[in-house]
Amino acid sequence: MSDKTKDTGKSKLLKRRMRRRDFIKAGAAGTALLAGSGIFAPRIVRAATGSITIGSFQDNAMVPFHEYFCKQFTVETGIAVNYNETNYDTWYQNCKNDGLNKTGAYDIYVMDDNWVPEFAAGKIVQSLDQLGLKVNPDILPAGLEMGLWPPKSGARMKDFANATPELYSLVIIDDVEILYYNKDFFPTAPVTWDDIYNVAKATKAPDMYGWSPRGVKGNPIMMTYLPLLNSYGGNFVNPDWTPGFAGPEGVGALSRLFSFIPYMPDGVAEYDTDQEVQLMLEGKCTALTEYTGLAQRVDDPSSSKVVGKIYMAATPKQVKSGPAIGTFIASVASGAKNPQGAVQFLEWFTSSATQLDFARKYGGAAVTGSALNDPEAVQKHRWLPAIADAVNNSVEKPRTPDEPKMEDILGTALNEALVEAIAQKSNYDAIAQKHLSAAADQITAYLKQQGGYF
Amino acid sequence: MTITTNPVVEREGRGQRLRAASVPYLLLLPAILALAAVSLYPTLDGLRASLHRFRYGLDMGFTGGDNFTAVYNDPVFWQAIVTTALYVILVVLIETLLGLLLALLVARELRFAGLIRVALILPMTIAPVVVGVIWRLLYASDIGVVDPLFQALGLGAPHVLAHPLSAFLGLVTVDVWEWTPLLFLIILAGLQSIPQDPIEAARVDGASGLQTFFHHTLPLLRPVLLVAVVLRTIDAVGTFDQIFVLTKGGPGTSTQLISIYAYNTAFLFNQYGRAMAMLIGVLAVLIILMMAAVRLMRRTSEAIE
Repeated sequence: MSDKTKDTGKSKLLKRRMRRRDFIKAGAAGTALLAGSGIFAPRIVRAATGSITIGSFQDNAMVPFHEYFCKQFTVETGIAVNYNETNYDTWYQNCKNDGLNKTGAYDIYVMDDNWVPEFAAGKIVQSLDQLGLKVNPDILPAGLEMGLWPPKSGARMKDFANATPELYSLVIIDDVEILYYNKDFFPTAPVTWDDIYNVAKATKAPDMYGWSPRGVKGNPIMMTYLPLLNSYGGNFVNPDWTPGFAGPEGVGALSRLFSFIPYMPDGVAEYDTDQEVQLMLEGKCTALTEYTGLAQRVDDPSSSKVVGKIYMAATPKQVKSGPAIGTFIASVASGAKNPQGAVQFLEWFTSSATQLDFARKYGGAAVTGSALNDPEAVQKHRWLPAIADAVNNSVEKPRTPDEPKMEDILGTALNEALVEAIAQKSNYDAIAQKHLSAAADQITAYLKQQGGYF
Repeated sequence: MTITTNPVVEREGRGQRLRAASVPYLLLLPAILALAAVSLYPTLDGLRASLHRFRYGLDMGFTGGDNFTAVYNDPVFWQAIVTTALYVILVVLIETLLGLLLALLVARELRFAGLIRVALILPMTIAPVVVGVIWRLLYASDIGVVDPLFQALGLGAPHVLAHPLSAFLGLVTVDVWEWTPLLFLIILAGLQSIPQDPIEAARVDGASGLQTFFHHTLPLLRPVLLVAVVLRTIDAVGTFDQIFVLTKGGPGTSTQLISIYAYNTAFLFNQYGRAMAMLIGVLAVLIILMMAAVRLMRRTSEAIE
C-alpha cells in the first residue's frame, strides 16, 4: 500500500475527527446560546404567596391541566391552585360578569381565543404586558399572537387603528385543525384536496365514507369550511373588512366540499363533532379535519376500532394549507385577587420545561416549538409535528367582538347551501355563489350598522 | 239625649280598623317583593337596556330607539317571528285537540283510567333539556331509531334534523309529546267540573253523542279551553330548551324561534340591548293578545251564566 493510501486513510480519519470536533464545538456553542436565552431554564421557583383560582370551560384537553399541572405548580411553588370548570356557554357568561363587575372570584380565566377582542377592549381582563409577564421566546408566534389586542396583523377596527398591540391573553394549548387520515387508504400523507378526493371516489357508502364534515349551522360548519377557504386563497374578511369568501376562491372551496357529497353520510347537515369523530373511530371514514382533541382518542381501544391506523398531517392545500386556529388562551381577571400569582402560573405553565412535560406525558398540544418537535414526545405521540406544522400555517379568524355574529351569518348560509346541494346533487357552483353572496351582503350590512369598520 | 263620642276612642277605633285592613297586604308583601325582584325588576331593566347600546360587554349609553329600529329592519328577526307564530299555532292546536280527545276518553269510567292518566302525564314531568336529549338521540341519523324504523317500513330514512321541514315538524312532535298532558289535565279537570244536568237533559231529549258534545259540553267547556290555550300559548312562545339541544335553530333558520334568536343576539353576539328590544316587542304583543283573550273569556263566562 502506498503512503498516499495510508495518508488518505489518516487524512480521512483526521477529517472525521475534525468534523466530530467541529460538531461538538457547534453543539456546545448552540447549547450555550439556548441556555443563555433561558428557554430551558429550570421551572421558576419563588417563595409561596397565597393561592390563585382558575376558571375554565369543560374540555378533554383541560384534563391534564387541572389533574396534574395545577397540582404540580403547587408542589413547586407553594401557591395553592383552585380550579373550577363549567360548560362553555355558562363559563363565558360567568367570567364576563366576574370581569365586568371586578368581583374577583377568579384570578385566571381560561378562554376561547375569539373572546380576546371583547375581553381586552372591555377591560374584562388585564394587560399581561403591564403586569410584567415574561413571554417565553419558545412559544410559537402564531399562537402567541392570538392573545394580542389590537391584533398585530390583519383587519383592525377603526377605534384601535393606531393602538400598540398589547398581550392580554397567553396561549396555553395550541388547539388547531389538523387532518386525520386512515393509513389503510393513504400510504403517504395526503397533501392536496385532490389526494383526498381520489381516495374518496373509491369508497362505498355506508360501509366507508370518503369525507365527513361538521354540517350543523354556525361554528361547526365554519370549522369545516375555513380550512378549505384558506387553502383556496380566500379569506373570511380582507384587511379592509370586506368579506373575502364570495369570490372564485370561496365558491371554489365550497364547491369542493359539495363534491364530497356522494361520499359523505346522508345526514351530514346535522353532524357535529361527536358524529364525525365517531365515524373516524369506527373506521368508516378515510379522512377528515378536526381539532387536536381527537388525537387523544384514536389509539384508545375503549373508543377506537382503528388503533394505530389513524395518522395526522397538515390540512390539505389547494394553493396553500390554511387550518383554522382556535387556541385555549388564559388571561388575568380584571378583579384578580392575586394577579402576580396568576402571572407566575402562566409563566410557569408556558415555560419550555413544563410544555415539554405536557407533550411527553400527555401528547398535549403544547405551545412551544421545542416541545412539539421533541423526539421523545414525537415518538410517543405521532401527531405533535402535525400540530406544529398546522400552527405555523394557521389562519386566524377576524379579530373583533362581532366575529360571533359574522360566523353565525356565514355558518347559517353554509348550512343552507349544504342542505340545498345535498337535495340537488348538482349545480354546486351556482348554489355556492348564491348563498355566499347573500352572506357577504349580510355581513357587510351588519358591520356598517355596527360602525367602526369602514 | 245626645250621644257623644270620645275622639280618642274614635281615633283608636279607626287605627284598629286600619291595622286590620292592612294585615292582608302586609302578609302579601314578602311574596310581592319576591315577585317584583324576579319579574318586575328584570322587565324594567330589560326595557332600560333596550334603549342603550352595548359594546365590548360595556353599556355605552342611551341610544334612544336605535335598537328598535335595527330590530324592525332585521329580516332574520321577522323570519323568527313567523317561525314562532307557525310553531305556536301548530303545537297549541294539536295539543288542544289531542288533550280534549284524551280527556274525553279518560273522563269516562274506564278500567285502568288512573293508570292511563299517570302514563299520559309522564312526559310532562321530564325536564325540557332532558326531553331534548332523548329526542336528539331518537332522531340522530347515525345512531337514532327513527331512521331505521322508517327504513324498515320501506319509507326511506327521513334524516329528521337534516332538512328544514322535517326538523320543524320533528320539533312540533316533541312539543306535542311533552305538553299534551298539560292540556289533557286542564281539560279533564274542566270536564269533571262542568254541570252534568244540561248534558243529561240533552241525552234524555234524544240528542246524539256528537250533538250533546257540540251543543252542550263544548260551550260549557269553553272558558276552560280558553284558559288552557292562553297558558299554553304563552309557554310555547318561550320554547327554548328543546330547540337549543336539538337543532340550535337550524337547519338554516328553519327552527329559529324568537327565543333562540334573542338568546344568540344577547349572549353570542353580545348585542344585549338589541335582544332586549326584540323581547320587549314580543312581550308587548303578547300582553295585547292576553288582554284580548281575557276579555273574550269574561264575555264567554257571562254568556253562559
